[in-house]
Order: sequence, then structure tokens, then C-alpha cells
Amino acid sequence: MGEAAEGAGSPRRQLLRKAESLAYWLVGAPLVASLPASLAYRVACWRGDWASRSWPEQRSEMIDDLRQVLGDELTLNEAERLTRDLFRFRSCEVIDVMRLRGRARSLARLVEIRGREHLQAALAGGKGAILCTAHYGSHQSVFSLLHASGIPLTTMGRWDWNYDTGVSSIERRFWNLVFARRVLRHRQRPNIEPWPGRVQVAAQAAAALRANEVVTISSDAAPLHAERARAVEMPFLGRQARLMPGVITLAQLTGAPVLMAFAHRSPDYRHQVLEISPPVPLDGQPETAFGRCAAAIEAAIRTSPAQWNFWFEAEVLARLGVLPAPSIGTAALSRQLSCFARVTTGWCRRPWWCPPGWGDQAPHRVRSISSRIPAAAPATWSRRRSRRAVSWGSAPPRCNDQINPRNV
Amino acid sequence: MEAVINDYISREIVQDSSLLPLGNETPLLETGILDSLGLLRLVVFVQDRFDIIVDDLDLVPEHFASVDTICAYLRSQIGKGASQAGSRG
Repeated sequence: MGEAAEGAGSPRRQLLRKAESLAYWLVGAPLVASLPASLAYRVACWRGDWASRSWPEQRSEMIDDLRQVLGDELTLNEAERLTRDLFRFRSCEVIDVMRLRGRARSLARLVEIRGREHLQAALAGGKGAILCTAHYGSHQSVFSLLHASGIPLTTMGRWDWNYDTGVSSIERRFWNLVFARRVLRHRQRPNIEPWPGRVQVAAQAAAALRANEVVTISSDAAPLHAERARAVEMPFLGRQARLMPGVITLAQLTGAPVLMAFAHRSPDYRHQVLEISPPVPLDGQPETAFGRCAAAIEAAIRTSPAQWNFWFEAEVLARLGVLPAPSIGTAALSRQLSCFARVTTGWCRRPWWCPPGWGDQAPHRVRSISSRIPAAAPATWSRRRSRRAVSWGSAPPRCNDQINPRNV
Repeated sequence: MEAVINDYISREIVQDSSLLPLGNETPLLETGILDSLGLLRLVVFVQDRFDIIVDDLDLVPEHFASVDTICAYLRSQIGKGASQAGSRG
């Protein structure tokens, strides 16, 4: 979803990509999604191929990253095929979002849910259930579909177009219109966004679990600068990665079972399988239990690397520790100098772009964002309630915490 | 009560040992000592330890800003519980 967000290349090409992405989300995908599925997903693949060809810098960076992380298992040809699939999947995910209209039946016909009995058995315990997942496949649409199929579900995750003060209100409205509105239609509560400073989020998740609902958590999210002290290091994709074990802490505090869930797209690009595992054993130390979750995520990524969305985000891979931190090139140096100028003059519009520590040294004159944050979760949620401002925890994240807002 | 809460936060929640010893008036939220999961952990602890129910609506910063404010909130809850029990009896 984030092809238009960042990237090198000439300004003209970047502008063209942004315009194409805008047109695809607003006009192309809604029209294409109304076609028969086989044709709709074929068109999405063509569009993915076009995006791949028109973004050679990103493509070659992804090939390098894939080969660096997956190592000798991957030949150059395989890496190129995976990269092509990454672009295709990204286009298909937009079609999935569009097919959530109405009661989401047009998407439901294409998605098989395996392991539903595990989830129902977990909910029979009366303490809710946590679906531990990753930024893998069309997870947002498939979780909306799971809710539409009768299982009350809420997601935890960061949608930072709501928070990034560098995002214009037009852009924010755009993502709310084309994406958030559609996926949240099929959710029990508003998305729970665990930004630093929002100390009520775990209580919101616990409230959902107490109501015997399902909460999904993507445990492959890279820790933000403010969260590094709580991250644990563990083997992940052949490196010592930094991951957040919050899923296990929440499970231990609430007594909710943790199940793994991944949405796999089939080779025909249109059918998907949501696979839900039996509960993960939580015995032993939290790190040991979380290690089981991380191993399951790694296994899913290695089975089908092209379905992991983070290949589009070298910066996130570096923060995870899966890729070495990039050396300071000209672009990064220029960004840091610009950031330094903004911090020293007290005018910083994107505080979490700052290098570690800088944001803590100078006050950021950021716009108030409290009105954009959905309210603490009520038992049943209406759109009007979602506009209510929260009374606390609305401080923007600080320092080096950028996640591409459009890559959800 | 202050000693119990201070001890629990110092032992179980504070990650950065340079912040210890913790004062009863030290701001817990602004300094980042109490994060989202830390707050939930603290709520579970005080519910067990003092046999009270912390309502979701009570999870506001004024109640959890420091050890002192936490204890003031807990005393009000314990007092409320006692007066309700008295009126029933």
C-alpha cells in the first residue's frame, strides 16, 4: 500500500508514482474490485508488474535485502521472482480492501478460514483470545473478514497517518477514506494504537479480552526508540532481532490464550487461507514463550517470503535488527541536518524522524493531535464515538520512530 | 501503602535502574516509568493486593501520575468500598 510513500528516483517519476497510487486507490481499485475475482486479481497483478518496473530503485533494494536476509537459499532469479510477487501482492491487497464492502461476501468467497475451531475453543474459556500475527499477507482485510464472520475482533497496530504531524490533513483524510473506513467497518472496536505515551492501550486490549473478544497483535513490529528498553533480543531470520514481547505479557496478565494466525495468498493470487493455530504454550519464562511466537512468524516468512510486507521497509528491517543499520549516506545526512535545524529552532513537524535523543532535548512545537485519536474502546463502537478525543496519552511519539504510515 | 506501591513499581516495572530509588512524588508517566503494560500490571497487582476493582473509566493520568496519586486514588476506592459495605450492613 505504500508505493507512493517514499523512494528514490527522479522527482518526475516519484510524482507519477504518487499520482498513479492515488488514482488506483480512489478509482482504479474500486472499479476493478467489482469485476469477477479472476479478472480483478489479474488486473491487480498487471498493475503490480507495472509498479515494479516503474520503481527500479526500490526493486533492486528489495532484491538485495531478500538475498542478504535469506542468504544462500535464494538465487538471484528467485529473489527477482519474489520481488515481482511482492508488488503483485501489494496491489492485490488493495483489491481485498475494496471487496470488504457490504457484508464482505465478495471477499469471503475467496478466503478459507482454517482452525476456526481452535479460536472457538479458546473463546469458550471466557477470557478472550489473542491472535498473534505479523505484517504478513492481507492481514488487515482478512481480520475484518473474520469479524464479519461472527467473531468479535479488534486489532492493535500503529496507523501513523493519524499521528505523523508531517502528514497533511488531506493525506490523512485520504487514508481514512480509502483504507481505515473500510477495514474498521468490520471490527468490534476502533484500532488500538500503541504509541509511546498512550498508556491506556493495554487496558483497552484487556477490556476487549474481558468481554471475551479477540485481539490481534502483530509481533514483528520494530520497536520504536522509546520502546527499546522493553524489546527482547532473540534469533529471528538468522540474526539477533529486537522484538516486543507484549503479546505474552498481555496474555499472562489477562489469562487469554495466544494463537498464531497468518493469511496466506495462493499462487492464483485471488484465493487466501487464514490459518489459525492451536494455543501456543505459555509455560516457562516470557522470553521462552515469546520465542515460540517468533519462531512461528519466522517459519511463515520463510515459507512464503513475498508475503511479508516489511521487505518494502528497509528502515524497519534495520530497526528490527534483521538488516544492519544503514550507513549515513548523503540523503540521511541531509535529513539529519534538516532535523537538527528544526529541533534547534523549536519547529519540528515530524518529531519521530529525529535521531535518537534529539527529540528529548528540545520541545517540539507540534500540532495538537488529540482530536484525531479514537476514544478508549467502548463496548460497541460507533463512528461518531471514534471521533471523540481522548483525555490523555495523546502525546506524539518521539524520535526515530517512523513507520511508513501507508504500509499497514 | 506508599511503601508497598513504591516497592512494587521499583521491583517489577522500572527498567532503568538509574531512576531508583523512586520518590513517591516522581512523575511516573512523564518519565516513561509507567507504560501501557506497566500500568496494566500495576492495576492487576493493586486489585489483588488491596481487594478492590479498578474501573476502566478510572484509568486516567491524574490517578497514576505518581505513587502519591496512586495511593490517594486507592484510599478513595477502599473508602468507597467500605461505605458501600456499611450501607448494606
